[in-house]
Amino acid sequence: MSNSTLANSGQSQSQSSGATTPELLSSYRTLPGVADELFASSGQMRPVWRQFISHLDQLGPDGINARFQRGNQYLRDAGVFYRKYGTESAEERDWPLSPIPVLISEADWSEISAGLVQRADLLEQVVADLYGPNQLVADGHLPAALIAQNPGWVRPMVGVEPLGGHFLNFVAFEVGRGPSGQWWVLGDRTDAPSGAGFALENRVATSRVFPNFYASSNVHRLAGFFGDFRAALIGMQRGAGEQVGLLTPGQMNDGYFEHAYLARYLGFLLVEGEDLTVVDGALHVRTVEGLRPISVLWRRLDAEFCDPLELNENSALGTAGMLGAVREQTLTTVNALGAGILESRALMAFMPKIAAALTGAPLALPNIATWWCGDAAARTHVLGSRDDMVLGSAFAGHWPYEDGVPPSTQDPDLEHILAQRGDALVGQERVTLSTAPYWQDGALTSRPMSLRVFLARTAEGWQVLPGGYARIGTGEDASDEAKRLAMQRGGSVSDVWVVSPRPVPKPTLLSSAKGKAPVEQKTAPPTRAADNLFWLGRYVERAEIAMRTFRAYHGLRVSGFSEFDPLPMLVQNDLLFTATSSAQIMARQFEEPLDGAVTCAARNRDRFSVDGFLALKELSATAHALSRESVPLDEIPEKVGLLLRQISGFAGLVHENMYHSTGWRFMSLGTSLERAAGMATLLARLLREDAPEGARDLALELGDSAMSHRALYIVPPSPASLVALMALDQSNPRSILFHLRSIQAHVEALPLPADSSVAVGKNSVVALATDLQKGLAATKPEALGPDDLMVLRSKIWGLSDNLSEAYLR
Amino acid sequence: MNQHVVYDLKLQLSHYYAGPTAGARHVVHVAPLTIAGRQNVQSLSVNANPVSNARGDLKDYFGNLMTQFSHLSSHNMMQIEMKARVTCLAQDDLSDASVSLADLPREIRGYKALDAAAPHHFLGLSPRIMTAPDVAEYSRAIVQPGGSTLAAFLALGRSLHQDMSFDSMATTVDTPLDEAFRKRRGVCQDFAHILIAGLRSLGIPARYVSGFVRTEPPEGQERLEGADAMHAWVAAWCGPKMGWVEYDPTNDVTAKTDHIVVGYGRDYSDVAPIKGVLRASGVASVGQAVDVVPVLA
Repeated sequence: MSNSTLANSGQSQSQSSGATTPELLSSYRTLPGVADELFASSGQMRPVWRQFISHLDQLGPDGINARFQRGNQYLRDAGVFYRKYGTESAEERDWPLSPIPVLISEADWSEISAGLVQRADLLEQVVADLYGPNQLVADGHLPAALIAQNPGWVRPMVGVEPLGGHFLNFVAFEVGRGPSGQWWVLGDRTDAPSGAGFALENRVATSRVFPNFYASSNVHRLAGFFGDFRAALIGMQRGAGEQVGLLTPGQMNDGYFEHAYLARYLGFLLVEGEDLTVVDGALHVRTVEGLRPISVLWRRLDAEFCDPLELNENSALGTAGMLGAVREQTLTTVNALGAGILESRALMAFMPKIAAALTGAPLALPNIATWWCGDAAARTHVLGSRDDMVLGSAFAGHWPYEDGVPPSTQDPDLEHILAQRGDALVGQERVTLSTAPYWQDGALTSRPMSLRVFLARTAEGWQVLPGGYARIGTGEDASDEAKRLAMQRGGSVSDVWVVSPRPVPKPTLLSSAKGKAPVEQKTAPPTRAADNLFWLGRYVERAEIAMRTFRAYHGLRVSGFSEFDPLPMLVQNDLLFTATSSAQIMARQFEEPLDGAVTCAARNRDRFSVDGFLALKELSATAHALSRESVPLDEIPEKVGLLLRQISGFAGLVHENMYHSTGWRFMSLGTSLERAAGMATLLARLLREDAPEGARDLALELGDSAMSHRALYIVPPSPASLVALMALDQSNPRSILFHLRSIQAHVEALPLPADSSVAVGKNSVVALATDLQKGLAATKPEALGPDDLMVLRSKIWGLSDNLSEAYLR
Repeated sequence: MNQHVVYDLKLQLSHYYAGPTAGARHVVHVAPLTIAGRQNVQSLSVNANPVSNARGDLKDYFGNLMTQFSHLSSHNMMQIEMKARVTCLAQDDLSDASVSLADLPREIRGYKALDAAAPHHFLGLSPRIMTAPDVAEYSRAIVQPGGSTLAAFLALGRSLHQDMSFDSMATTVDTPLDEAFRKRRGVCQDFAHILIAGLRSLGIPARYVSGFVRTEPPEGQERLEGADAMHAWVAAWCGPKMGWVEYDPTNDVTAKTDHIVVGYGRDYSDVAPIKGVLRASGVASVGQAVDVVPVLA
């Protein structure tokens, strides 16, 4: 147990920075007993900041504010968000970037890096022992109870040697600077550490705020680290032609944006547990081409949830049998399942002695002083110094008891609690973090700060991501860091610049010699992703049809029809399928599919352009706004017209800009199937012999074909001319035949589903599509009456079912 | 000292699905163990019907036999059949060689290893043993602080046996133990979980034992509860000398030749007879049939 301390030493001074203080520092205060990143304890500005502060000074408050807008604009355009859990629901929040980076000198960084590399190596030894010979327990360096009762100790991994030999390949540490200037480790993140993708986004945004300064500065770049890590993961693959998988808990997770971003940036396949299956002892991805092997998973799902058969049986996020694949050494997960036990706070109490025992050397970078309350002497100490302590779970992850949070040090019953639940508790010294500049109300102010530092194991050993991520607290009180820094409770994040006195190499990921350049994903999408894209296409089209119908209905009403007249009634009953003529209720017919479309797109952030996604969200928001505010009846057609223009804009964006991948084909198939079936319904309903007057003109309006009809036919619309134009004209992009031809072309271009267990193969889908298209092409307009159209409609849906059965199950 | 007994053992587990399912994976813990001085397995087979596309047999962390089956093609129901011939070896009558409750914590701390039988696994929380203040309070009232660990174990077990009623309708496999305790009703799994929670609240390491009891009693004895399905009872760690002692709270007997061990775990979740993950369907109903018949020597 460390007796040294990170608490107030009382040695630091609070000083102003002298006569040359720029205006923007006039309200910057350092605190007694608290180290500061900008000012050394002497009161002098640390040299690493001087140029940057003078740059800020030149910009002036207005210039700085304008620059910050740029950074925020970038984050909004890039769609960077995280999910914040509220009491009832989770909502998306903008990424809380503080645009002032934290500057760290290369000398400080070398000290941190060396200490963390030593710690990572040490942790690897510890975890290998915990799943291997358990010598640390036998020798008394670790209490058996701490391991055996630890939810982070994954028993099925005991005796399993991870493929490649290492439990740890990607780790993160929380690091803070104490009052005396010494750096300390505050926490170990070894299960599925998050934040590396946000570090990249922090850097991109911050470098846009200070483009010229950043470009000419000696700030270490981040891309090289990612290129090398990417190469390391690719190097672990068992087979050629595989893709590395990035396993995400899915779009409801707070880090989903980051997962999608990293998958795109590194060219990895974003997968969820349900996309994966174990066959013949090896992990596979279910794709529209059948099963494809996958042997390396960068795991952003906590180990506990990875395999419902052998781990948490209530997990719906994992893959049954994944642990078996690990055991059979056909799968590398990064990190290994079970590595999370190293996150146990109580381990910190024993690390100093373990370091000495295993390496003969002390910890180069100490961790915060910790006492495991399973030990009687430690309990006594914690009780005696309770005012300087914070109590926490001894184990990895959350406090395991039902009361939800560890007891407070001020609990009157503390002695009894420690005696009862000591094994599950640690006392940790209350820490005082250093402060760093934060922009507030036109000036810099000091806020508590901690670093998150990422390490990846590469061909050359551990590499440290040089900067990128600091957490900035909310208040000026630098103590009680846990509360002040947790982002779920407010607080912000900033970039970290590691500044060299010399020019630095400036690699970009694309030019990294060791990793192949990431290319647009041309491989078959997972079945789930294809299904989402298919439904995205269908939902958007369904919304458009409903909007047109809704507009037509209100157009009729505005032009004098009553809701009891036959034509509006037909539209309400047979085309909008609503029981009432209330605009709010009718509007649901397009609001609901739009919500569905947003959900589908949100699940595919790695395959769907940011612009497209934002356009879709905007569209959905406009639609909801329309039904919330009570729009006067006569303004409805115009407002809906606006929506229709937005939806065409979205369609254009997608079809103009999206790579024509297999995923795009599924989306287009969804669009065409919905449109072809929708048109068949429309014509069948409006061309009935008993249809009221005006129905034919309405058909043209709903089918967006009035102009074409005027150009092609001199006569007024007749059933034959309408069918000829809107069902059978292959040059009309609204016609059924046009879409059956696209459907045929798309299904012919689809890959062969290799999964022999599906009942319906590609060939039968192609045959169905061809028959349907050829049959319709050979039909005369007179031979396609309302009943025939209804038969055609059910055949189109039959084709859709067969397509889903073959590819999307 | 009693006589050893040879059993022919048969278990059939049936899972009927809600609909045809392609892609199912199951883990089963149904095969009896060979345990030195306790029981020997002479013959054993564990099979699935329909025949699985892949199976894997291994020992889990606690040394139990575990079989994984995976079925790829579509099927409506699945059965697991286990057959075995097992000899339960004669046991000495219990004599208390356990440590005192006062010395137990020191003895546990002195056990510096994490082997499968180490006491450390079986203290504190586990997936199905949560804190149960009512059970803890009840246990404190029953157990005399001055006594031995074994005496505490048996006193608490007997007390629960008296206060609880066997009732297969009162609980399900997922009923939390505190709820079963409130009702004072349940089946062997509930009896076992409640006793384990009580023992752990007193600092006594306690583990869950899954297995079988003989279907028909020897002449002149009562039929044991839990004979028509797999059974569960409890083992407590009584110090380094005496080790683990098994007691069946449902029937108020220490486990001897009537009890055949399948597996040890922290609670039911470690040794559940069958766990399954189905794709695109659920389990509609399950069935269990057990035969434990002594072979005439």
